Amino acid sequence: MLLTLLLIPTLTALAIMMRPARQAAPIALAGSLLALLWAWFVWRAFDFADSAAIQLAASWTWIEPMGLRFSLGVDSVALMLVMLTALLTPLAVLGSWTAITQRVREFYLWLVILEIAMLAVFMARDLLVFYLAFEFTLVPMFFLIAVYGSTNRARASIVFFLYTFTGSIITLIGLLYVAWAQWSHSGHWTFDIGVLTATAASMSPSQQAWILLALCCGFAVKVPLFPVHTWLPLAHTEAPTAGSVILAAVLLKLGTYGLYRFAMPMCPVAFNQYAPLIAVLCIIGIIYGALVCWVQRDVKRLIAYSSVSHLGFCVLGLAAINTAGVSGSVMYMINHGLSTGALFLCIGMVYERYHTRSMDELGGMARRMPLWTAFTVFFVLSSVGLPGLNGFVGEFLTIFGAFTSGQPLQGLPTAGPLGPWYAAFAGTGMILAAIYLLYFCGHLLFGAYHVPDAAHAAGHEHSHHRLPRDLTLRETIVLAPLAVLCIWLGLQPDIVLSRIEAPVTQVVTSINLSASQPIAAAVTAQDAEGH
Amino acid sequence: MHAMLAQLGHSAGAAAIGQAEVFGSWTALIPLLPLLASIACGVLAFRPSGAKTKWAAWCCIAGLALSFVLSVVLALNVGHGLGHASIFEWIRIDRLRADFAFYLDPLTSIMLIVVTGIGTLVAIYASEYMWGDRGYARFFAFVSLFIVAMTCLVLADNLILMYLGWEGVGLCSYLLIGFYYDKPSAVAAAKKAFIVNRIGDLGFALGIMLTYLQFGSVEFDVIFRQIEQWTAAGMEMSTATNVIPFLLMLGAFGKSAQLPLYVWLPDAMEGPTPVSALIHAATMVTAGVYLIARLLPLFLLSPYALPTVAWVGCITALFSATIGMAQYDLKRIFAYSTVSQLGYMFMGIGVLSSVGGTFHLFTHAFFKAALFLGSGAVMHGFAGQLDVRKLSGLWRVPGWQVVTASMLVACLALAGFPLTAGFFSKDMILAQAFVTPGPGYRLLGWIGLMTAGLTAYYTFRVFFRVFLGPVAYKPGDDHHGAHGDHHFHPHAPGPAINFVLIVLGLGALLAGWVGVGGGHHGWFGGMIHASSANYEVAHEPGDTAGFFGDPHRWMMLASSVVGILGIAVAAYLHLFNRAAAERWRRAILPVAVLAEHKWCVDEGYDLLIRRPLRAMGHICYALGDTLIINGLVALAGWTPRLIGAAVRPLQNGRLQGYGLGMAGGAAMLVIIVWWML
Repeated sequence: MLLTLLLIPTLTALAIMMRPARQAAPIALAGSLLALLWAWFVWRAFDFADSAAIQLAASWTWIEPMGLRFSLGVDSVALMLVMLTALLTPLAVLGSWTAITQRVREFYLWLVILEIAMLAVFMARDLLVFYLAFEFTLVPMFFLIAVYGSTNRARASIVFFLYTFTGSIITLIGLLYVAWAQWSHSGHWTFDIGVLTATAASMSPSQQAWILLALCCGFAVKVPLFPVHTWLPLAHTEAPTAGSVILAAVLLKLGTYGLYRFAMPMCPVAFNQYAPLIAVLCIIGIIYGALVCWVQRDVKRLIAYSSVSHLGFCVLGLAAINTAGVSGSVMYMINHGLSTGALFLCIGMVYERYHTRSMDELGGMARRMPLWTAFTVFFVLSSVGLPGLNGFVGEFLTIFGAFTSGQPLQGLPTAGPLGPWYAAFAGTGMILAAIYLLYFCGHLLFGAYHVPDAAHAAGHEHSHHRLPRDLTLRETIVLAPLAVLCIWLGLQPDIVLSRIEAPVTQVVTSINLSASQPIAAAVTAQDAEGH
Repeated sequence: MHAMLAQLGHSAGAAAIGQAEVFGSWTALIPLLPLLASIACGVLAFRPSGAKTKWAAWCCIAGLALSFVLSVVLALNVGHGLGHASIFEWIRIDRLRADFAFYLDPLTSIMLIVVTGIGTLVAIYASEYMWGDRGYARFFAFVSLFIVAMTCLVLADNLILMYLGWEGVGLCSYLLIGFYYDKPSAVAAAKKAFIVNRIGDLGFALGIMLTYLQFGSVEFDVIFRQIEQWTAAGMEMSTATNVIPFLLMLGAFGKSAQLPLYVWLPDAMEGPTPVSALIHAATMVTAGVYLIARLLPLFLLSPYALPTVAWVGCITALFSATIGMAQYDLKRIFAYSTVSQLGYMFMGIGVLSSVGGTFHLFTHAFFKAALFLGSGAVMHGFAGQLDVRKLSGLWRVPGWQVVTASMLVACLALAGFPLTAGFFSKDMILAQAFVTPGPGYRLLGWIGLMTAGLTAYYTFRVFFRVFLGPVAYKPGDDHHGAHGDHHFHPHAPGPAINFVLIVLGLGALLAGWVGVGGGHHGWFGGMIHASSANYEVAHEPGDTAGFFGDPHRWMMLASSVVGILGIAVAAYLHLFNRAAAERWRRAILPVAVLAEHKWCVDEGYDLLIRRPLRAMGHICYALGDTLIINGLVALAGWTPRLIGAAVRPLQNGRLQGYGLGMAGGAAMLVIIVWWML
């Protein structure tokens, strides 16, 4: 089942290589839509009654003596991210339909290869498969930026590659250390994630702390957490639209997913101990990112920095180590993927028309592009966390998780390392988000209409490009499903929340139990009795 | 104060005791019908024909009117009881339950009727007023959406759904203030409104979380029942119960434009006038008052909460009245007046006259809507002219008699002229300040009384200048702009506008009577006493002796005198001897100029908050990111050169080459691991 999900894009990639360039985009679209359809079958096949268990597992011997197996499997959290990936790839393909005019075949090839790698990351049940896929995402992304990016693309792609590569090498060392420890303990090699997680979780707190540090090196860069976020704005700004969409929507989630899947269960004691530190970094990131957003003149860089701020909330939820916080964080991963992905698509649509991203050159688009404006305002509102749309649920729950973490609930103690002050400081991000996103709207969408002269003329004569003033049907089709999902998840967050509750509770409970705080243990025991 | 808490056990939450009657999901139609109208108008907005027919207006009016009818039906069914309706599950995690569910008590009914009723009237008015604007359909889409959010806010049975409505009305306010999005001032005002509100909303959100920790729930029903049990058991209150009201208060002060977060409301007048009437006078801005009235039992838990509310309200009332006296822009004067009147409402609730506070909310909705819509008619007819110095004697201009009459009634109500709507509600608040024991409450009463005089003065300053006196006017530089300056003919309001003004004028004249008579403050008092805002300190038995013993009696006289005095001063300075007004202004020039400049609060905020924050953003960006990025790029510049020198033969620059390298790299990795084995 899951292997087929990987094979579909692989076959798509082969087909793209074999067919002429002008067929590349339709093939990529068809292939990624087929993958989406298959992902839907996977969703149907998944038994949500037992959502914490690894399901649809499949395993093939790869390198026997090393215990290396090619094993796949998903729990409901991984499945959510698989769905997100499968959904956004066809939209990214469709969004690039007219924007890519040179080296078309390679573009779609890299995009499809990227999809394979991302899906493999979320489905991997073997540590090395995970790691290889995790690393492999760098390669297609590197080329997407380096070949199809804008003016600073060379710089951006190299910074992106070195930054994330250096981080993940250290992660690899940490992961190998765990595998080695398991080997020295049991005498045979295995890279099974379940086994290694148990091994790491039983290590001493100081060992766990080192592993956590190693894992965080790779994952925190990917997220990106302050202060290792600096690669992101550059990469985002220079990447082509599809690259930015995938980067924001899925690649950043590799970091948070890594933290959730590995850092939390592998180093429960250390994670519990260092959660306040991580939370402080998140809060700094939230505020810092937001303030920097506010002084940008390049709209794409503004949205890029907003990711720094937003992902701060996402990791804050993880650091809260309670069901609300961690569920909120998973919800946030999906929501950020939808709304920020959509915002990058929106900006791409304007860039394609006017070839600039500068607020000094663009303004008052509402007059000329009402439909585009409606979509952009909508996604801005989702991003700003307006209740009723998806962004609110994730944002509220992460802050809520941080606030209630470790606080007595009606006088009864609860587990968790944070508290109201973390939430209060993180909450200022809500205000700042409104400030920078409305600054963005105020300059780009509203005010006096102005666009670059040459493009203006071209737009009227329809000579430079064939795009009409407002959105085409294709562009509307790209944005509409995202908008529908934003409303749907905003009003029925239970679609996600109830389905991820079991695995999230499992992670949270295991951390609280092994954190060996008497209070926490007592409470979780109480909870268990309650259930 | 602790004595008050003891009393609380008997009165507060009385409504929560009874078993809630379960209502069907038809109640969901109250927000749903406007939502359908909004979607229909939204579709029309993207059609070129959207602004060429009145279909959008009809959709909106129909949706709102039906919603109003349903609200009345609901109110009749709820009566003095308590109802509950579950629509669908929304957010559920851990013990947190936030559903789309409605808490229906008389307070809900009253608010619903006000919101949908005034909403319908404003939609009828706007069908004429907005005609000819290219955003005609868009306007009605936003107005309907506003009603959706506002009804959700009012109906919510839990804090998080209320927060949804709260943010939703904020959004609609943003969209409608920035309706003329080509105007930079409108865009800036919209942004300011949203951001200032968000500051309050953060407090609200944190308040919700702390409430959850304290009560294990965010549902009103559960919260009220627990408070009841606690007070009955005489439980010690924790720090949290002292903090929660202050956090929620922040939200209320943001939405209801109180000090220090009032600055957005006057700027919000950039929006179309019907919006100013509906959102920024009659309904949305009263949400803060509603929040406190709704959660009165929670606010009573802290001995500091309500006195703070009262004092903030009172100071805001006085402060903004002083600004209102010095403004020349018709709409801005009424905007400051709204801030001031909202201050009265908070003061009413703060001095434990929840009936007075909500009653003032109710009457204010009529007369302030009438004032704004009347001003809108003037603005519409005189090509955007709003300067009170450039308009005079309108009642003599043909076709303006209805506007003049309804403005007169509404002005009288705002000034607290005897037997008009505002007179009864304001008296209830001021008198209660003298009855309720509390920190400096008597002083509050005197300040409130003085402010009532100022209110009468600035209200009639407008009326005497604009509507009476010699006929003289200059057209404004307007966006409808077809009129030339030479042959300017004021464009008298049509039947839709006149109809709405008559209805609201009658409301301003008569709405006060529902709070008079039988038992305690008439029908209105009965309704509030049956709701969660049920609390009133009884008179001390010995105090009620004689005329001057009962403030509720002598206040009627005192406030009438003060009100008429204010009107008289205004009549002298702005009707009979307008030159004297200018002399007086020059005599106190520095003060007058400062008040004209709104005491420079905006400039202060800009200097102390906005600029430092933005500077921090620049510093972070310049030092943090640009430096690090540049350093990295420098590093990155020569690292590949080193590597490149080593592996140059492998880099043939072609795709296959890189892919091969990648495979090689993966193989290397496997070999390394193998070797470790």
